[in-house]
Amino acid sequence: MAETSEAKASASAPGGDAGGEEEKRDERMLECNICLDTARDAVVSMCGHLFCWPCLHQWLETRPSRQVCPVCKAAISREKVIPLYGRGNTKQEDPRNKVPPRPAGQRTEPESNSGFPGFGFGEGFHMSFGIGAFPFGVFTSTFNFGDPRPSAAPRGTAQYEEEQFLSKIFLWVAILFVLWLIFA
Amino acid sequence: MANIAAKRIKREFKEVMKSEEVAGGDIKLELVNDCWTELQGEIAGPPDTPYEGGTFLLEIKVPETYPFNPPKIRFMTKIWHPNVSSATGAICLDILKDQWAAALTLRTVLLSIQALLSAAEPNDPQDAVVAKQYRENPQLFNMTARHWTNIYAGGPTSVWEFNQKVQRLLDMGIDEHQARVALSTYDWELERATEQLFC
Ligand SMILES: [Zn+2]
Ligand SMILES: [Zn+2]
Repeated sequence: MAETSEAKASASAPGGDAGGEEEKRDERMLECNICLDTARDAVVSMCGHLFCWPCLHQWLETRPSRQVCPVCKAAISREKVIPLYGRGNTKQEDPRNKVPPRPAGQRTEPESNSGFPGFGFGEGFHMSFGIGAFPFGVFTSTFNFGDPRPSAAPRGTAQYEEEQFLSKIFLWVAILFVLWLIFA
Repeated sequence: MANIAAKRIKREFKEVMKSEEVAGGDIKLELVNDCWTELQGEIAGPPDTPYEGGTFLLEIKVPETYPFNPPKIRFMTKIWHPNVSSATGAICLDILKDQWAAALTLRTVLLSIQALLSAAEPNDPQDAVVAKQYRENPQLFNMTARHWTNIYAGGPTSVWEFNQKVQRLLDMGIDEHQARVALSTYDWELERATEQLFC
């Protein structure tokens, strides 16, 4: 019941001079939901709510047994907030030894051909197999064969020859493996 | 006072002042001291309730740990409501206790208290006597709440019968508020109220 009137109240923000109000609303989008100031060391929860990390950390510390979003009361945890990094993030913040550093962002590598586990190739070996789509990855690699990638050793050098040789051996091993899979 | 608490209260105060609820006379907020630790709130009794037309004052104490802990709020205006103590003004409202969330503000809390006046929760009472009357004799509860609103909050509806009974006890030398509490508690039965007062 309380929520109803609250929602109604916030839905219609007070009217005023258009320009200033617009600007203020833009600013408010980047305000921390706890201190109501511009969020510093900003983090965002899975439910999409923005906080300063020190503010959110203190909130989580205040009620360790009931970790909910201060805005929507969705479940929230230290591990599940995402830090936001704007440009020019070099400014030193005042050191707050009580507040631990903000959790780091998680960087997932973009999808790429991953190495074939168990074959242990040396570094610099450019041919690889997509394990996800095996055995199709094998053929993809086959068709790419004559087109060495930029990281490959320069043509004509001993290393290049060696790589080509290894590639061929590996290709045959792979084909045999596929045949074995089919006929075994 | 912790920096964040004072800073936030200042900010909230400004925002409340600009809100349409203040413009519409629904809520009011005033500073009591200069260090932003104590404020006085005011809410209008919601229409179509026994509190309609009344103005209810609230004492607001801001703890040093605000907004990580809720503000301490109680009714200063006496009120007959299942979720408010008729003796102390203490409020039973989940968001002022374990359901507090740091993003709630004085404005949203005042509006929630106003909403509580429209929709009591007799199953989670603060005042057992009032809650019992609310459940068992809703019509009498309504009249009593209206009477209290008239006497203490400036509400428009005067209940002649109740005023007469209070006057009878006053004539016996009983304190006015005490008389009203006793009568309200004993469903306005003069004999039982008198008995209780003199035993
Ligand atoms: Zn903050
Ligand atoms: Zn949320």
